Amino acid sequence: MAKQGYTGPLEQIDECCWRIPKDYKIGMQVDGQIFADERLMDHIRADQAPEQVANVAMLPGIQTASLAMPDIHWGYGFCIGGVCATDPDEGGVVSPGGVGYDINCGVRLVHTNLSLEDVQGKIESLTDRLFRKIPAGVGKSGPYRFEGEELKRILRRGVRFLEKKGLATATDLEHTEAGGCLAGAEPDSISDRAMARGVDQCGTLGAGNHFLEVQVVDEVFDKNAAQTMGLEKDLLCVMIHSGSRGLGYQVCDDSLKKFRNVPAKYGIELPDRQLACAPVHSNEGQEYLQAMRCAANYAWANRQLLMWQARQVFAEFFGRSWESLQMNLVYDVAHNIAKLEEHVVQRRRKTLCVHRKGATRAFPADHAEVPQRYRTIGQPVIIPGDMGTASWVLVGRPGSMDRAFGSTCHGAGRLMSRKAAIRHAQGRRIDRELAEQGVVVRCRNWKGLAEEQPAAYKDVNVVVDVVDRAGLAKEVVRLRPVGVVKG
Amino acid sequence: MYEVFDHTADLGLRIRADTLDELFAEAARALFSVIVANLDEVRSVEEISIEIEGDVHDEMLRDWLAELLYVFHTKHLIFSRFEADVGDTKLTATARGEPIDPARHEIDSEIKAITYHGLNVAHGDDGWSAEVIVDV
Repeated sequence: MAKQGYTGPLEQIDECCWRIPKDYKIGMQVDGQIFADERLMDHIRADQAPEQVANVAMLPGIQTASLAMPDIHWGYGFCIGGVCATDPDEGGVVSPGGVGYDINCGVRLVHTNLSLEDVQGKIESLTDRLFRKIPAGVGKSGPYRFEGEELKRILRRGVRFLEKKGLATATDLEHTEAGGCLAGAEPDSISDRAMARGVDQCGTLGAGNHFLEVQVVDEVFDKNAAQTMGLEKDLLCVMIHSGSRGLGYQVCDDSLKKFRNVPAKYGIELPDRQLACAPVHSNEGQEYLQAMRCAANYAWANRQLLMWQARQVFAEFFGRSWESLQMNLVYDVAHNIAKLEEHVVQRRRKTLCVHRKGATRAFPADHAEVPQRYRTIGQPVIIPGDMGTASWVLVGRPGSMDRAFGSTCHGAGRLMSRKAAIRHAQGRRIDRELAEQGVVVRCRNWKGLAEEQPAAYKDVNVVVDVVDRAGLAKEVVRLRPVGVVKG
Repeated sequence: MYEVFDHTADLGLRIRADTLDELFAEAARALFSVIVANLDEVRSVEEISIEIEGDVHDEMLRDWLAELLYVFHTKHLIFSRFEADVGDTKLTATARGEPIDPARHEIDSEIKAITYHGLNVAHGDDGWSAEVIVDV
């Protein structure tokens, strides 16, 4: 499995979209389509991610095209940055690999009413305080424990359960994708092992690329949309990137094991075992969806509790309540998930099973699922970049519905492998380099930090520029990190 | 013998051994070499027994590593010594190690899962080999 470049066809359709025609491989039901421009194509051709886009095009019931966003990179089975929509009524399948291990990995953005000036000289101590208080790192447990029936309620009701406990507000719910709760979650569909791993990890960051960052709004591109979200230049914000922790990994692992013989049972031939799938209208498919929704709800509760702890740290640090600091949730998006959504395919309205693996929902203005406050501007899309460059807030545009089943990119996209990133660092202290650029970094694992260094990622600005020009989402503000907390 | 190879966001383990039993033991070492930087510092204080049912070598290998990962994550134990006996329908194995001690163990990566992507166990003229990709 040495790294080889992709040598198959990639035909340019327009300035931001490339096609892998469905006659490239036997078994492809539809074309592959990759949103990218010339600047990204060398990287995209450098590994097997386009081959994975072609493989996904073989899944039964897939609609229109197997899609990939400009932050596409090589994954296992599905590529990262992929979108795959299937029609259950046409034998469409659901695939645990199309969601990934970290079910409902996602991002949320919280603003404050503080400007950069207000915190001049305090960023280092604020970051230290966050680093001490926010549980992070491999297998780290947190201050919250949910056992038995209580844990089941989180799995069924997500953030709604936390609202009952006084750990979430009505606005927090409203400003979370799906209201922080997918219906149809059934805790009996998940194993005792998954339950056990969920007991003490809700409200913990984890490790790897997960983070909590203090950021400032660097530049505003759409003043009206920014204002609607409560964002303005130099405003201090907090971005949180985490997922469903060990519970989600276990749900995916259990499901893939159960799915080992399922494709054969339904006569589905696959080029890669990691693409294992079942018809949405089958017991196996339903059971996976029920379990996946539990993990998704757990992930939303996790990010809610991370935000709740951050609010407490800010309140203690500044000696004011989080309400008076106006630490309101701008929005929370999932970027590893499968959902049943309504879309129009060849002028017919259909309910599709949309897999987003490293892709973000980006519904446009006037869509019924966009909260009232954002109804006129479109759904906020939070795009985390690397810790040295920038993160973005976008809003969904009508093009996302026309071209990408209401989806856009999810981040910068990895460029270097982890080992290559460590070689590239050559023992340099990444934290010191970032400090010189005005970014305070606190991390438990220096090797992990080298793996996550800015050079390991594509330029998020290019990725965002492509989805903007492709009409999937519109640039609203760019944020830059000032304090980074990593596991 | 093992090596860790690149797979963009993830990591691969490539293992070689004379026998299938050694292949399984060596694969477990490869896994923990990614989790903890100083694997040789891990003492053999506790021993656990693991049984994996199955009759397909690559799936048994994946399940064995997934089981060790589960024990690592839930019991906070790290292991450095392994013995494996691969039978026709069952793997019987032991792993020896100790509870994680942040003062002595440099925990490197959070491995989320052992994937099926490119999973391979093969027997050739110069013994057994395997490849496994782990999700980091």
